[in-house]
Amino acid sequence: MNLTRDEIIEAVNGALVNEMELDPADLAPDKTFFEDLGLDSLDMVDLMIGLQRKFGISLRENEEIKQVRTLGDVYDFFEKNQAMLTAQAEAAKAAAQAAQSQPPKE
Amino acid sequence: MNGLKRVVITGSGIYSALGFTPGELFDNLAAGRSAIVRGGEEEDFLPTAPASRDPERFRVLPRTLRRAMAPSACFTAMAGLAAMRDSGLSQDELLALNAGCAVGSTMGSVSTLREGYSLVLSGQSDRLSPMHFFKCASHTTAFNLARTLGLNGAIYSPCSACASGLQSMGLGAALISAGQETVMFCGGADETGSEVSGSFALMYAHAPAEGDLAESSRPFSAHRKGLVCGEGAAVFCLEEYDHAVRRGAKIYGEIVGYSSNSGGNGLSQSDAPAIARCMADTCTSAGIAPADIDYISAHATSTLQGDAAEAAAIREVFGSGVPVSSLKGHLGHTLGASGPLEMAAVFEMARHGILIPTRNLDEIDPACAGIDHVTELREKRIRIFFKNSFAFGGINASLICKLNV
Repeated sequence: MNLTRDEIIEAVNGALVNEMELDPADLAPDKTFFEDLGLDSLDMVDLMIGLQRKFGISLRENEEIKQVRTLGDVYDFFEKNQAMLTAQAEAAKAAAQAAQSQPPKE
Repeated sequence: MNGLKRVVITGSGIYSALGFTPGELFDNLAAGRSAIVRGGEEEDFLPTAPASRDPERFRVLPRTLRRAMAPSACFTAMAGLAAMRDSGLSQDELLALNAGCAVGSTMGSVSTLREGYSLVLSGQSDRLSPMHFFKCASHTTAFNLARTLGLNGAIYSPCSACASGLQSMGLGAALISAGQETVMFCGGADETGSEVSGSFALMYAHAPAEGDLAESSRPFSAHRKGLVCGEGAAVFCLEEYDHAVRRGAKIYGEIVGYSSNSGGNGLSQSDAPAIARCMADTCTSAGIAPADIDYISAHATSTLQGDAAEAAAIREVFGSGVPVSSLKGHLGHTLGASGPLEMAAVFEMARHGILIPTRNLDEIDPACAGIDHVTELREKRIRIFFKNSFAFGGINASLICKLNV
């Protein structure tokens, strides 16, 4: 994951348009997910799962992403944290591969 | 029904491979059309009778509802909306009545179960959507119907495989008859997939993909080689008679008899004596003599043993004097949807005064003989009809509906 802010906006808005069927015209950074865009907490989980897949990262244990309120918060989150998220994902992948290469315990 | 109240049907809606309204379904059945095609990988390339899963069709359902729905629930919601419109009952009236629903399916949603297993077994369970459970829960068709119609009453979901739909009708009728409910939306729904069709194939009960597939489902035929799984949904509005009359509702018919039983040891084999007892009990519950039935809409799925057992039971209870046909040669076996969906077709038959024959019944199996098989379009006035549904696990269910009430 090494994206410009425009690429992040495109990916996030793409998910909101395709998965949540929102109107692209409504997707301004100051819009809140719940009040303005009409989503709920289950939609937010679905949205994050889609972005995890898209960016090849894991957000499940991330506390900061749970605090986002506006669309701009999400853009900021990914712009600020992409290096850390990518490093985490790569470390997790390496750990999984190492575990797999271990001989099974008796 | 031996209850306090009379139960009538005041709305009907379907979603099927041969039509999205009962009238369209009847036209296709009367024209002898078959819904059966070659299945894809998901059906193990077996013959199958798919209903449209085109997402554009389901866009009439708001996303906030649709996000929790797999095809089985979408089929149900579409049929349920049509049934509600047909009933003439508004959402406000339904709320005031605390209207409920009873809808069942074989296993929720086989397509969603498969998606879930694929993710979990490949170590990607963190990619499971929070909607996964809602799409494949065993009662997904029922609660999604309630959400779609805004029902605030009781939600039931009898999950008894291929008898789910008819048992839901029976349950709804019993609750209204007992005075516990005034309006219930009842029906069945299902979607195909190799988890179901493959199970039948393993038991040598599924028709193979050979020859003209439109001829692969052949109920009661000497040449039948097994069933073909189909999909779809049907929902009826069941209503307490006096309430329906007071509001001037159109009445399709009255559910006057219903019974369900088992042979006590059933797994996959049909039990003719238990079926006969179920059918006889249904006549008793309706206070109607078998000879007064005008038509039997058979369960007959095109399996070797099941069709013969049902024919033997019909022979024992009704003799050879009541016309019988199965619609599974046209529609395949729509599993949990089959009972209500085929009932919707019978109401159309009654409206037209025409019985639809069993498709592909060119040569009657001697084991299925001795009953009045309808083998071509036949003019007939239907005043009272009989519907059968049976299911794995030894479950039998029968219902009698009286028209022109």
